[in-house]
Amino acid sequence: MAEVSPERHTRRSFLDLLLSVSVVAWLGSVLYPVLRYLKPLSLPGPSGPVRLTRAEMAKVEVDKFAIIPVGHERLLVFEDPKGELRALDAKCTHEGCTVRYVARDALIWCACHNGRFDLEGRVLAGPPPRPLARHSVLRDSEGAITVSLASA
Amino acid sequence: MSGSPANRGGLLGWLDARYGISPLIEFLREKEVPVGAHSMVWYFLGGATLFFLTVQIVSGVLLLMYYQPGQDTSWESIRYIVTQVPFGWLVRSVHCWSAHLMIVSLVVHMFSTMMLKAYRPPRELTWVTGFMLFSLVLGFGFSGYLLPWNELAFFATAVGTDSVKSVPLVGDWLLQVMRGGPDVTINTLYRFFALHVTILPILTIGLIAVHLLFIQRQGMAPPLGETRAPRGIRFFPNFLMRDLLLWLVCLALLVTLALLFPYGPSIPGFEWELGQKADPLAPAFPGIKPEWYFLWIYQLLKEFPPHLFGLEGAQVCLLVVIGLMLSWTLIPWLDRRARRNEPSPAFTDFGVGAILFLAFLTLKAWDIGGNAEATADGLPDPRAVAWTCAWILTALAGAITVLRIIVFQHRWFVLSGCALLQAVLHGLTGLSYLAAGAIAAAGGAIVVVFWLRRTGSAVPTRHGAEP
Repeated sequence: MAEVSPERHTRRSFLDLLLSVSVVAWLGSVLYPVLRYLKPLSLPGPSGPVRLTRAEMAKVEVDKFAIIPVGHERLLVFEDPKGELRALDAKCTHEGCTVRYVARDALIWCACHNGRFDLEGRVLAGPPPRPLARHSVLRDSEGAITVSLASA
Repeated sequence: MSGSPANRGGLLGWLDARYGISPLIEFLREKEVPVGAHSMVWYFLGGATLFFLTVQIVSGVLLLMYYQPGQDTSWESIRYIVTQVPFGWLVRSVHCWSAHLMIVSLVVHMFSTMMLKAYRPPRELTWVTGFMLFSLVLGFGFSGYLLPWNELAFFATAVGTDSVKSVPLVGDWLLQVMRGGPDVTINTLYRFFALHVTILPILTIGLIAVHLLFIQRQGMAPPLGETRAPRGIRFFPNFLMRDLLLWLVCLALLVTLALLFPYGPSIPGFEWELGQKADPLAPAFPGIKPEWYFLWIYQLLKEFPPHLFGLEGAQVCLLVVIGLMLSWTLIPWLDRRARRNEPSPAFTDFGVGAILFLAFLTLKAWDIGGNAEATADGLPDPRAVAWTCAWILTALAGAITVLRIIVFQHRWFVLSGCALLQAVLHGLTGLSYLAAGAIAAAGGAIVVVFWLRRTGSAVPTRHGAEP
């Protein structure tokens, strides 16, 4: 009996192991397609340059800023106190709220958690951990504004 | 056995002959609810929560008859419901009020269970399933908030979902799965809709079945120190009739509130005006706040600096919240005195400390005392808010402590003292919230060590009536 028992034990262990691996593989084959299905496709969008529409340009004229969609990003295009155009990421680096340009105080402000940035996108106050990225913006001789995701 | 269904005939006899329901009838006859040292009120809160959940399901199904998820239909269909559909405003009001009342009754149910140590063996898993249900209910609130597709919901969801990117390793994957893309778009609403009306209800109903099964198998927890309650009242019909009466009161309260305040009591985080349609290209506006039960996390996110311990502040904040949730879940195993069916005043005080901690952050999130009209930028003054909230918390903590000393003879106040000290140091001296917390925690640790060295026990030995 003493010689037979380990052999039986080994065979059973092997079958148990085989069964366990099969169950894990089966679960994997079921879960993998579901997990892949849940993650949306990352479609590369255009990175610019994007020409502002008349309505967007009017917004820059009146409000001194506008949020412009470029590919999958949103850019804050604004006119600084010297009349120069600038473009920054519109997504706050803290929790992703959309920031705004406050012309009166010449700063960028996120209303969600009171994050403040200077006109270069550097953090002035509040919880944002990183500066806002700067992007390229141009006004041509006819006054049309184009913006792109390229770094300024 | 003359009253057994088999002998009685009729429908019960017919059913019993086929399905053997006699044991179930006998079980209901024998079932008792323990009556002990504490008030019976606490035993009714689970039932009240279940009632509000039932109202949620019924009113939710009614809303589904008209609601259409979509870029050009979500906001419009809600507007149609509240302005055109007969009693549509009432159905939405009942759905929203019932959601808030369900969370109120669930929070009180959870804290009463905690204070009475009903989680002690053999009911650890009842506590765990209860906390899981609480998390699912918060999921209902979060996912349902986006469905009207208005400005407030859009930004609250943007902030709420952005936090998950801090989860190590799978943060980005989780963010994309939740949002259906890198940003909050209408794809996010589709996912939240599926979550709100199918996934969460299935999980919740399944988990409620398990929670109730545990309670039916083990009965309700007797008072601390007893293995069996000295006396009890019959569940059927005595307790059930009381339950039904409470449900009627809940319904009356719900309908009254829904009629008088169809868009909520106009408290930030406690209102559901439809407002403007969501515009992903509009900047966030001042005063955006999540629902009142998420305000403490919202405020905690504000209190963390941009970087801490080499990580981003939001990441550390998320770790702190996960740690707090985990310790709350593991209370049945952490509270070793309650495991021995002995009073555990430290954990009672832990519960009070948790209430003070949550209350201070929530008060701050409401900007109480901020006096925004008097500031140069029109925003609430954070120092004035902290000062006012610290005084309110001091008054609240004082009242609770006096009540605990006089009525319950409590003698252990270290953790609630730490929560109060943090608020006072932060609000009255101007220390940062985290620095004040560190000092308060160090002070609490010193008191515990001193006490241990003096008495050899972490808690006072004379507990009075303290659970």
